[in-house]
Amino acid sequence: MANKILPFIALAVLAILPLLTGSTYLHHLLVLWMLYALLALSLNIIVGYLGELTFGHAAFFGIGAYAAAILGMDYGLPGLPALLFAGFIAGVFGLVIGYVALRIVGPQFAILTLGFGSIIYTVTNYWVDVTRGPMGISNIPPLSFGPEWLTFSTAQEYYYVALACVVIFAYACYALVHSRTGRAFIATRENPNLASSLGIDIFHMKLLGFVVATVVAGIGGALYAHYVKVITPELMGLQYMSALIIMVIVGGRGTIAGPIIGALIYVGLLELLRPLGAMRLVIFAALLIASVIFLPGGIVSLWRRYVEQPVLRKSATPQPDARREIAP
Amino acid sequence: MDFVVFTQQVINGLVNGMAYVLIATGLTLIFGVLRIVNFAHGEFYMLGAFFTYYVMSMLGLDYISAALIATGLTAAVGILANVLFFWPLRKEHEFTILLSSLGLALLLTNGGEVVFGADPKYVASPFSDEIVEWGDLIVTQQRLVVFAVGVVVLIALYLFIKNSSMGKMMRATAQNAEGAALTGINIRRVHAWTFALACGLAAVAGALVGPTAMIYPTVGSWAVLKGFIVVIMGGLGSIPGALVGGLALGVIESLGGGYISLGFAEAIGYAIIIIVLLWRPQGLFGTAKKA
Repeated sequence: MANKILPFIALAVLAILPLLTGSTYLHHLLVLWMLYALLALSLNIIVGYLGELTFGHAAFFGIGAYAAAILGMDYGLPGLPALLFAGFIAGVFGLVIGYVALRIVGPQFAILTLGFGSIIYTVTNYWVDVTRGPMGISNIPPLSFGPEWLTFSTAQEYYYVALACVVIFAYACYALVHSRTGRAFIATRENPNLASSLGIDIFHMKLLGFVVATVVAGIGGALYAHYVKVITPELMGLQYMSALIIMVIVGGRGTIAGPIIGALIYVGLLELLRPLGAMRLVIFAALLIASVIFLPGGIVSLWRRYVEQPVLRKSATPQPDARREIAP
Repeated sequence: MDFVVFTQQVINGLVNGMAYVLIATGLTLIFGVLRIVNFAHGEFYMLGAFFTYYVMSMLGLDYISAALIATGLTAAVGILANVLFFWPLRKEHEFTILLSSLGLALLLTNGGEVVFGADPKYVASPFSDEIVEWGDLIVTQQRLVVFAVGVVVLIALYLFIKNSSMGKMMRATAQNAEGAALTGINIRRVHAWTFALACGLAAVAGALVGPTAMIYPTVGSWAVLKGFIVVIMGGLGSIPGALVGGLALGVIESLGGGYISLGFAEAIGYAIIIIVLLWRPQGLFGTAKKA
C-alpha cells in the first residue's frame, strides 16, 4: 500500500522543492539534478532493463544538445519542434548504432559503444564548420514555445520543464515494465536463450529499448543546451559518461527511483566536495567501486532490504518458507 | 604520390602501431586467460610513463634502468589491483567486473591527477635527440628503440607462453579455468602472473612512448581506446590479432593523418572497427558471443 502512495508524495515534494528557497544557486542544482535524472533514467533502460553496459550514452546526450543548439541558432527553431527534432536525430543515430552494435553482447558491446561514442566525439571536435570544434557553441537561445510568456529564462522554470520530462518518462518506464513488452525486456535480460525460445525477438527487443533510450537522452541534451547556453564536445567525453554510469549503478539499476536518487547523490556530492578539487573524483570512483562490490542493487536496494522485507533481514540465512510468507 | 613521404608515413605508423600492439597484447592477454575486460588497462600505460619520469627525476637514474624499474613497479600495482578488484569478483557476472574496472580506471586517473598534478610532463630520453637517416628517410633513435624493444618483448612473451610452465598453466586456464583448477593448477597464481605480465606490457609501452609525447594523468583513456580498437579489430583474446591489428591501425592512422586530415585520422580507427565487425563480428582472429 505504502508503495502506491509513495510516488505521489515524492512528486508533491519535488513540485514544491524550488519554492522553499529563493537561492538561484540551489535552483541551478535542482535543474541539474532533474536533467541528470532524465539522462540516468534513459541509460537505465539499457543498463537496467536490457542488461547491457553502454559506454556511448553521453554521445546521444551530446547529439541532442548540438542538434538543439544548431537548430535554435542557425534555423531559429528554439521551441518544442527543436526539442522533439533533437530527440529524433539522436534516435536515428541510436537506430544505426544499435543496429550494428547490438549484434554483439557482453563486454564487446560495451567496447563497441565506446568506439561509437568516440567517433561522434571526434567528429564533433573536428567538424569545425558545423560544430565550431573544441570552442563549442555559445549564446544558445532559451527554450521558447512561441510567445514571450512561454519563453523560459529562470532556473526555476527550467526545473519544472525538466521535472515534467522526468515524471513523464518515469511513468513511461513504469508502464513499460508492467506491460507485455516490459516483461519481454526482463526475460531477455535474465535469460536470452529462454526468451528467444518463447518467441521473443531479442534483437528487435533490444533495438527498441536502445532507440527509446537514445531519443530520451537526445531530448535531455536539448534541454541542457537551452538551459546552460554553452556546449562543448566535452559533453560527450568519458567524464560525463562515467558520471551517468555512476548515477545508475550507485542509485540502483533496473529501478525507477534508483537513477533519480543516483543523480541527486551525484549532483549533491559534487557540490559538497567541490573544495576538495581533483580529490572528489577519486571519491566518486571509490563510491562506484564500493557500490559494485558491496551493494550491487544500489541505494534503493537498502529500502527493499530494511523497509519492505525486514523479516528477511532478521533471519541470518533467508529461509525459503520465510520468503513465501512475505510474498504477496 | 611522393614515395619518400609515403614510406616515412608507413615507418611512423609502424612505430605508433608497435606501441598499440604492446597495449593491446596486455588487454587481450587478460581477456584471453581470465575472461576479464580490463577498462583500467590504459591507466597502467599512464603509470608506466609517470613512474619512469619520477624514478628518473627523484632517484636520478638513467632512462633505461628507470624504465625497467617503472615496469616492475607497474606490474606490482597490477598484481595489487588484481588482489583488490578482480580476484574477489572472479565469480561475478562480467558486467560487475567491467564496472569494477571502470571504477579502478577512474580511481587511477583522478588519483594520478591528485598525486602527479594535472600539468603535462616530459620524459627525457637520451635517444630522443639522436636521428638516424637512410637516404631521405629520417627517424629518431627513440622511435627505433620503441620498435626494437617491442619486437624483443613480444618474442620473449611468445616464448614464455609457449614454453614456460606458467605459460602452459595460463594456456590451460584460458581453455578451461575450472578444468585447469581441477588438475591442480593454482588459479590464483595464474591470475597474479597474467596481471603482472599485462600491466608490465602496458608500462613498457608507456615508458617507451613517454619520451615521444607529453604525459598527463588522463593519457590512460587514450591508451585504452587504442587498445580496444586493436583488440576489437583483431579479436578479443587473440595475440596474433593484437599484433596484426596494432600495426595495421598505426599505419592506417598515419596514412590517413598524412593524406586526409589529422583530425579525422582519429575517427578512421573507429570506422575500421565498424567495417570489420559488420563483416566479422568476432574480429579478424577471434571468437565472440553473438546476440
